[in-house]
Amino acid sequence: MFKLKVLLILSLLFAYTTLADAPYVEDSLLEKINNKYKIYAKKRFILLQDTLDSVRDKTDIEKLEAINDFYNEVRYSSDMKVYGKSDYWATPWEFLGKDRGDCEDYVISKYFALKYLGVDYKKLFFTYVRSTKFKEPHMVLTYFETPKSEPLVLDNYNRKIFPASQRKDLTPIYNFNGDILDEIGDNEKSHKKWDELKLNMQRKKI
Amino acid sequence: MTLFKQMALLLSLFLLIILTTVLILNFQSANRGVQDRLYEDAKNTATSLSLPLGGANGDLSIMSTMINATFDSGNYRKILLVDIENNILYERVLESDIIVVPEWFRELVSLKAPVASANVSAGWSQVGILSVQSDSTYAYKQLYTILIDLLISFIVIALLSLTALNLLLHAILRPLKEVQKQAAAITKNEFIIQENIPYTKELADVVLGMNNMVSKVKAMFDKGNEELKAHKELEYTDENTQLKNRKYLIDRLPAYLKVDSPYEKGVNMIVAFGGIIEANEKIGHQQVDKLLIAVAEIFRKSTKDINDSIVARINGTEFSIFLPGYTGSDAIELARSIQKSCFNAIDSAGLDQHETFISIGIYEYNHKDSISELFSRSDNALAQAKFNREHIHLEKADTAVEVMGKEAWKLIIKNAIEKNRFNFVSWSVIDTKNRKLVHNVLSIHLVLDKNSSYGYAQFMAPAIQSGLSCDIYKKIVTMLFNDSHTLLSTSTYSLRLPQEYLEKEDTYLNISDLLRANAAMLPFKLIIELPDRLVRQDSKNIREYIELFRRYSIDIGIFEFIGESEDYQYLQDLRPSYIKAESSYFLTQSDQSISSLRLITDSVGISLIAVGVSDIDTLDMIKEKGVYIVQGEVTETLELA
Repeated sequence: MFKLKVLLILSLLFAYTTLADAPYVEDSLLEKINNKYKIYAKKRFILLQDTLDSVRDKTDIEKLEAINDFYNEVRYSSDMKVYGKSDYWATPWEFLGKDRGDCEDYVISKYFALKYLGVDYKKLFFTYVRSTKFKEPHMVLTYFETPKSEPLVLDNYNRKIFPASQRKDLTPIYNFNGDILDEIGDNEKSHKKWDELKLNMQRKKI
Repeated sequence: MTLFKQMALLLSLFLLIILTTVLILNFQSANRGVQDRLYEDAKNTATSLSLPLGGANGDLSIMSTMINATFDSGNYRKILLVDIENNILYERVLESDIIVVPEWFRELVSLKAPVASANVSAGWSQVGILSVQSDSTYAYKQLYTILIDLLISFIVIALLSLTALNLLLHAILRPLKEVQKQAAAITKNEFIIQENIPYTKELADVVLGMNNMVSKVKAMFDKGNEELKAHKELEYTDENTQLKNRKYLIDRLPAYLKVDSPYEKGVNMIVAFGGIIEANEKIGHQQVDKLLIAVAEIFRKSTKDINDSIVARINGTEFSIFLPGYTGSDAIELARSIQKSCFNAIDSAGLDQHETFISIGIYEYNHKDSISELFSRSDNALAQAKFNREHIHLEKADTAVEVMGKEAWKLIIKNAIEKNRFNFVSWSVIDTKNRKLVHNVLSIHLVLDKNSSYGYAQFMAPAIQSGLSCDIYKKIVTMLFNDSHTLLSTSTYSLRLPQEYLEKEDTYLNISDLLRANAAMLPFKLIIELPDRLVRQDSKNIREYIELFRRYSIDIGIFEFIGESEDYQYLQDLRPSYIKAESSYFLTQSDQSISSLRLITDSVGISLIAVGVSDIDTLDMIKEKGVYIVQGEVTETLELA
């Protein structure tokens, strides 16, 4: 019985190490990105992997800042201009590959990068907000240290991370986390845009 | 199983499998659609309700009111709001089911309404998660309606398809049915030519092949018929006078000189010319021949009204006038009349009546006489006639002293009919080539008591005289059908039915009733033998009998055949199983006649059976004539294979 427990613990440890070591940007993906978006895009992804690796063992806040800073370097552009559609949720590969995107593309890329870094996805929400400054709908990534604590806002307009109370320019409308909803329902579908994004992520759409 | 049934079964099965598959797929698709719809409804509600719930700023009373309003106005199984720590904030669950579909349907179709969820937030904070599950009751109702509609459509389509399939198969296989009919007809030796050639090539080839074969067999039959007719003409007709000849008379006599002959007595008159040599010298051969033709005409005219009479030229100068049922005294009258007419003819030919004259010997025969007795006694009568003044002499058969008188016989027979004192006995008919039993011929014994019984030959003659023969046959035919279990063997039996019985008014109805009641239970195959004389008349009566027997799968045989018909087409039309003729008939036929007869019978599958074959020598001679199936005493000595 003792031997079995030891074996189980060793197996779990091995699995954890293996998973932890798995790169966010795999070599095969790098190759495809190189083929499609050329060398600069590839360099961006190598830099992404380096950034992720550099904060792997840091606190959630340090991870948030690193990821927020990294992705906020990407240029803003409307979906219509980049994809020819009024609203499109791009995968992190498309977003960084094209090096441009709109607010939800920042949110998605930040969300998956933080999830990769081991930040509990239940603390992260896609928050639909209204920008009072630009008088238009907007989306930010919010981080809840605890479910009841004040969230931190990761925005691409205002590049610094602030507690929600300091973002007077934003009026919150609705929080959304597809992974949490997927856990509850027994249906594969939960949210139209999220479902489409999940599919594209599985296909590793670049 | 017929080809039609096999194809119909296979295609119907195929069709039903396809339709059932379509039905199941349709229903499964509808089921999926309904389940998707359930989720979509739940999802829409969850999303649309989560936004105003967020606006309640965490006030549970407002949130529960909103949930109540939504729950009560729609079809939901459950609406659940949990906080971020998974504690239930508010829950509404459907309390009772509205039964809208049968229980079996709910058990058969497992419909699980999925749960849809949405995050609920107030400002920046998380309130919790809202889960909505639609009520599947109405989905069940919808699915049940779909299933019923599908089933109705399925039944209608299946019925229409099966009807169409049936019609189509009938149309396609109609030519095959015709082909089958023709093939079945060939099996039964009914040769029909198919006029409608099927459009299907394979069937057309079969029909053309069968038509060709049928034409050839028909041609064979017709050739045999023509040849036999020609031979009959030569073999049975006197070339000069066109009267029948001695051979014909001998072939016909067995039908009259037998125990169950319809005529107990009769007269054989031999008319002989005297002084023909002198006549030839005086007026020449040609004139004498003319005289003989004139005399033949006198004989014909004189006997034309006498039933079953036969006029035959026995040799150059002698004629036989055979008159069944005629008495000696009537015969003398007739002889005188003939003699008178003949003398006139002799006068007309320019001859002297004292030099050229006729003598008439009359023999009043008894049906128990043999052919040789008949001829020798007739010759005696003629010899007497030649020497008496009138040149006519009557001689009567010896009157055998009967052990019993007519009345005594009548009493015994009547008693036997009333008390069922008849027993069946049987004689075997053997195929000598294969040494096999072909069938058993049934005969009857009259059993008086334990120790004494009479054979058919003993009691039938007095029965005929007493007019009881038909009653005996009626009795034994009834016995045959009602007490058939008394016959031990379960092979084939034949029963001979005489003309007078068949022609009796109530016989047809009587046999018809017996067959209807008992034919199905007969433990053996039955062949009814009919007399050739009756069959070749091709009367309505005989056709009805044959149709009746065929209806009950009873075969027909022909007995007392002497090939006397003017046309043998009736054999093809009636197709008896066999023809029975006296062995003497086969022995006296020329090879050509036998060959023609065989051509006819072989082409329509009729066997030839020689009866009265009494010894091995006769059997060998019969075999040489190509007839191998025999009946008679000789069969007792033959060993079967």
